[in-house]
Amino acid sequence: MSTILKIIAFPASVILICYGALTILGGHITPGGGFQGGAIMASGIIFCLVVYGLDDSPIKFTDNFMASIESIGALGYVFLGLAGLFATGFFMYNLGVDIYHIVPPYIVNIFDYPDPLHAGIIPYLNFVVGLKVLVGLSAVVITFLESEKLMKDMESK
Amino acid sequence: MVYIGPVIVGFIIGFIVGTRIKPNIASNLKFPASVYVLLAIVIIFIAYQQGPFPWYTDSVFANGLISAFAGIVIGKLTFGRG
Repeated sequence: MSTILKIIAFPASVILICYGALTILGGHITPGGGFQGGAIMASGIIFCLVVYGLDDSPIKFTDNFMASIESIGALGYVFLGLAGLFATGFFMYNLGVDIYHIVPPYIVNIFDYPDPLHAGIIPYLNFVVGLKVLVGLSAVVITFLESEKLMKDMESK
Repeated sequence: MVYIGPVIVGFIIGFIVGTRIKPNIASNLKFPASVYVLLAIVIIFIAYQQGPFPWYTDSVFANGLISAFAGIVIGKLTFGRG
C-alpha cells in the first residue's frame, strides 16, 4: 500500500471506531443499533488490516481476545434474557422499564439505562450485540489473511 | 446534567478496542502522542457538529463519541503498549 494510505488509515480507523460506538449508543432511539455500530467499528479494524497487513496492523485482535469478546457478547445477551425469565416468567422481559409493574423497584433500578428515555435493557442488548458483530466481522477478514499465510507455508513445504 | 449512560457504555466500548492497539515496534510507521492529540481535536469538532446525539439536551457535544475516544486512549495507555 502507498505511504499516504498508511499514514491516514490508522487515524481514520480510530474515528470510524468512535463513530461505530456512537451508533451503538443511539440504537434504542434511532435507526441502527448494535449490528450497524458493530459493523462500522469492524470496518475500521478491517481498514487497518487491509492497509497494513496482518502482522503490521496497529490494531491486533488475537484469537483469545476474539473468542472472549464473542463469548461475552453471547452470554451477555442470554443473561439479559434469562434475568427477565427468572424475575417475571417472561424471557427477555424489559426489567429496566417494567411495563406490567411486576418487578420490585430495586431490580428495575439495576437494569435501568441512565438516560431520559429509560429504555431499560435495550441499550445493553445493543452493546453486547455490537461487541459480537465487531469481533465476528473482523474475524472473517483475519481468517482470510491468515489462510493466505497458511497457503504460502503449505506451498513452501 | 450530563447523562451517565452513554458516557459509561461508550467508554467501555472504546476501552475494549483501545487495549488492542499495539503498534509494531519494528515498523517504520510510528503513531506518537501528537497523532492522538490531533485526533482528539478532530473528535471534539465532530462531536460539536454532531450535537448531543441522539436527541439529548444535556450538552452541546455528542458525549458518547468523546467518551469512546477517551476509552480508546486510556485503553491504549493501560494495556495497549506495543
